[in-house]
Amino acid sequence: MKDQIPAIEADALVRISAATDERALEDARVAVLGKKGSLTLAAAGMKDVPKEEKGAVGQLLNAARASITAALEAKQSALQEIADRAALAGIDTTLPARELAIGGLHPLTLIRDEAIAILRRMGFALADGPEIEDEFHCFDALNTPADHPARNEKDTFYFDSGKLLRTHTSSVQVRTMESAKPPLRIIAPGSAYRRDEIDATHLSVFNQLEGLYVASDVSLPDLKGTLEYFLQELFGPNTEVRFRPHFFPFTEPSFEIDVKLTVKGQEPRWIEVAGCGMVDPAVFEAINKSRKDQAFDPEATTGFAFGMGLDRLAMIRWGIRDIRLLIENDVRFLKQF
Amino acid sequence: MNISLNWLSTHLDLAGKSIREIDDLLTFAGVEVEGIVPKGVSSEKIVVAQIKEAVQHPNADRLKVTQVDAGEGALRQIVCGAQNYKVGDKVPCALPGAELPGGFTINETVMRKVESKGMLCAASEIGLPAGEDGLLILPADAEIGRPVKQLFDSDVLLELEVTPNRPDLLSHRGMARELATLLKTPLKAFEIPSAKTTAATSIQIDAPDACPLYSAIRISGVTVKESPAWLKERLESIGLRPINNIVDVTNFVLHELGQPLHAFDAAKIGGGLVVRHARDGESFTALDESEHSLAGDDLVISDTTGATLALAGVMGGLASGVTVTTTDIVLESAYFTSQGIRRTSRRTALSSDSSYRFERGVDPEGVISAAALTVKLILETAGGSADAAIQLAGEAPVITKPVALDAAKLDQLMGGSIALADAEQILTRLGLSKRSDGAWEIPSFRADLQRHIDLVEEIARVHGLANVPSRMLGTFVPASAIDGAYDADMILRRRLAALGLYECQTIKLISDAQVADALPLRPLQDGDTIRVKLPLSEDHAVMRPSMIPGLVASAVRNVRQQAKSLRLFEMGRVFRNAGGGKSKDQESETLGILLSGPTRPVGWDQAEQIADPFDLKGLVAALIPGASIRFSPKDREGFAIACDIRAGDQSIGVFARLLPSRERELDFNTPVFVAELDLGKVRKLLKGIEHVAELPQFPGSSRDAAMEVASTLPNSEIEGVITKCAETLLVDFECFDVFSDPSSAKLAADRKSLAYRFHYRASDRTLKAEEVETVHKRILKALTEKAGVHFR
Repeated sequence: MKDQIPAIEADALVRISAATDERALEDARVAVLGKKGSLTLAAAGMKDVPKEEKGAVGQLLNAARASITAALEAKQSALQEIADRAALAGIDTTLPARELAIGGLHPLTLIRDEAIAILRRMGFALADGPEIEDEFHCFDALNTPADHPARNEKDTFYFDSGKLLRTHTSSVQVRTMESAKPPLRIIAPGSAYRRDEIDATHLSVFNQLEGLYVASDVSLPDLKGTLEYFLQELFGPNTEVRFRPHFFPFTEPSFEIDVKLTVKGQEPRWIEVAGCGMVDPAVFEAINKSRKDQAFDPEATTGFAFGMGLDRLAMIRWGIRDIRLLIENDVRFLKQF
Repeated sequence: MNISLNWLSTHLDLAGKSIREIDDLLTFAGVEVEGIVPKGVSSEKIVVAQIKEAVQHPNADRLKVTQVDAGEGALRQIVCGAQNYKVGDKVPCALPGAELPGGFTINETVMRKVESKGMLCAASEIGLPAGEDGLLILPADAEIGRPVKQLFDSDVLLELEVTPNRPDLLSHRGMARELATLLKTPLKAFEIPSAKTTAATSIQIDAPDACPLYSAIRISGVTVKESPAWLKERLESIGLRPINNIVDVTNFVLHELGQPLHAFDAAKIGGGLVVRHARDGESFTALDESEHSLAGDDLVISDTTGATLALAGVMGGLASGVTVTTTDIVLESAYFTSQGIRRTSRRTALSSDSSYRFERGVDPEGVISAAALTVKLILETAGGSADAAIQLAGEAPVITKPVALDAAKLDQLMGGSIALADAEQILTRLGLSKRSDGAWEIPSFRADLQRHIDLVEEIARVHGLANVPSRMLGTFVPASAIDGAYDADMILRRRLAALGLYECQTIKLISDAQVADALPLRPLQDGDTIRVKLPLSEDHAVMRPSMIPGLVASAVRNVRQQAKSLRLFEMGRVFRNAGGGKSKDQESETLGILLSGPTRPVGWDQAEQIADPFDLKGLVAALIPGASIRFSPKDREGFAIACDIRAGDQSIGVFARLLPSRERELDFNTPVFVAELDLGKVRKLLKGIEHVAELPQFPGSSRDAAMEVASTLPNSEIEGVITKCAETLLVDFECFDVFSDPSSAKLAADRKSLAYRFHYRASDRTLKAEEVETVHKRILKALTEKAGVHFR
């Protein structure tokens, strides 16, 4: 017995070590530790061992069992490791991805949202108005003379009803002032329409962002500070901004705003981005007349308004050369944003 | 408007001012500089060269190889294609480094294996007026090596955009006056000959409102001929074509002073002049030979016989114009009010430099002096003798009135950035004068200055916004309803993009034909679409009543570019009337979705899966989570398998597939599914939960049931029966398999098998098996009785 155990142990360790897969290992385990395994049978022979040897043989048996079990476990994890390694070895992670459908927002939405986010941080709330407008809200209330060229049927879309498609979002200024009292601080993104043939730089339907701030002490410094801050947020903190005197019927004084931008590979140049001005007192008078009160007393109320073309901002931002790309919705264009 | 820098310099000393400075000056005066066109040769590297030799190019029939002397000692070899010169001629030679108009630079090069070290130039190639074909042959005495620019006068043409409120800038004198103000330098003296006037004997004004002032003077014995060189040069410098000395002088004075003038052939005038409104339907042939039928509010100049000589302020008549045979002329200088001229010009589609200025307003005080200058110049260039005095009818209207400047208001608007004295100095420099009562007298050429704010504008403009401080302040404002809608829309947009859709932006004006693709929430009746009166083209004539036409057109465009997977959406306004045109001009906001083709990119281990209705349904459900989206079939003309999209008990949109015939017509290879959702309703569904639900504390239990039904039975009927059972223990159920077998091998072809799973749970206890069984059996029984379901 005493001699048998080391032999069984040696034999078991050889079998375990020789096993090359889970099954061979299991066979080895059964052959040694199974019901009829060699070590199990040897243990069963304990009853025949003389009493004085039982202690020593028992120790031998336990040591053999411990060593075999350890070998089994070691082999087991070695085999698992090999199997894991084999399983992972088959994966070529350099194969292409299993692609998901990817979508995206239109560049006009992106630039509009960016502009709106900045202006909302500055305390402007959104406002809105109809695109099918009447002459009062689009022209009359905005101090536009009855024979102003913009009212021409050649330049503006009219309907048989006498209504028209608003030529600017400035009509939202009128709508807002009719229904609310100062202080007002609003922005209005929206479509505007002009009877322009569609080409690389013109659309008959385009997108504007209008702004209006009316209170009791709004001044040119407010206009300047607000728009400088806005444009520097939009185009970068060091962007140079200049205000050129201009003329709009509904603001006075009026300015056009240029920012100095560097297009890659070109000299920096001034690019027109917006129009602005102090609300003309004649607009307040027209609003009061329409409201039938003096909520916008031109002696006590001042304000500034501004407007910019969002299509143009998108073109400047991304170097888009042909404005038609913005309405053609070619996915090869859209997926770049 | 075009301004010649040389011409401008006759009024204002611009020496030492660079073009860039003048550009800035004009820009900050509010005059947009649209173009700066240098006239004449600009580069110093274009020099006089003499051709010493010209031999045939060995490799090109049309080219010669020349050796030229450009004053550098050694001869220079240049390949040249011109034929018009002979050896010994002097021509312009652009040396390497010379920059030619159009921005290209001359380099040494090799042309057909022969070196060429420069370019011999034609007139047009170096910025001179185009002459004969070929090289510009310079005078024989031109000094070799001298820059060609020294042989020709140079000038700069400024193309300017003057805002409509500043007609006083529409002349060289006017523009010079403005620049002088800004530069704080005096204008050069400008002598206007004194003019004698006399009350008119042969002018009758029948329409004093439209023509308050009319002057005329006869000049007899003129010789109509080509203008002298100085006059032609002035006109050409601003892009005008010289015609004859009489016409050229009137054009010159218009661009010099801004006052339009007109010369009649005196022989064509029967008696005196009458300024009157046209007779309705009166016919008129203009100088440009266009024919017009006039209206009663057009103003004309006629003679006493009634013959119409000119369309006042717009254009002369063909019959009464100055020709080479003219010997006596009558020169008109008048003040016509702007509204009438604008109306006539627009109605007749006739416009001229004259109408352009009258429409914006001329200086009534300038009428006589312009006439006097014109007379002087005509006598100088055409000879003859003028009457002793200019005949004057009516009087110059007073179009300005004194305006007071409110110091407190000025201070408020300017933010205290300018002292009153400085502000007043600006007004003074602009030609205004302060009266004893403190108000400001406005010069007659600045009729745009009528109100206090107009004075403030002038001060702000000249002071410059650069000199105004920036203030960053603002009142607090509450968010509006529009803010809420905008935020909801952005959530939807971002969800759609994350679900793999691209956002589109289409033109809101569509064609009549496209209306057929419209799938508005409520079907259109006759009279419900809105058409613009004068569309630019039939492609853009109707306000879109639905998002679908634009999305379909975008999809078609992408298909033509070989795109396979079309996953598009657009959000925005749609426009319609309702009730067959009864309720007008409704604008609402909708979301349009279009799906067609593979639902995701095909890859190395995934097969193509073509979008079907359930993809779109799933998309809508994912877009509005928790809204229990259902499709309820409802026919739509022009579409297949149309459904109302319902959330709970309200209809929130429409779903359909394009008719297969329409898909084929548009070259789609895969079915096209579209949906349009009412954003007003969808935004409300995005409101989110009010209270969070407790998580289940006790386990639930599920039961499956396979049922066989007629293949025509809509699934919604089964769902309806289950829902109607209103079993409180039933917390959820789902259909997890649908089986049908067209071959009838496993199931009759007119039957289908649906497998459902039912989830039961109580919130306060663990359910016993028998409790679940009881409820489950009740549901199955209801299905058998009410939906004719047969359980397998």
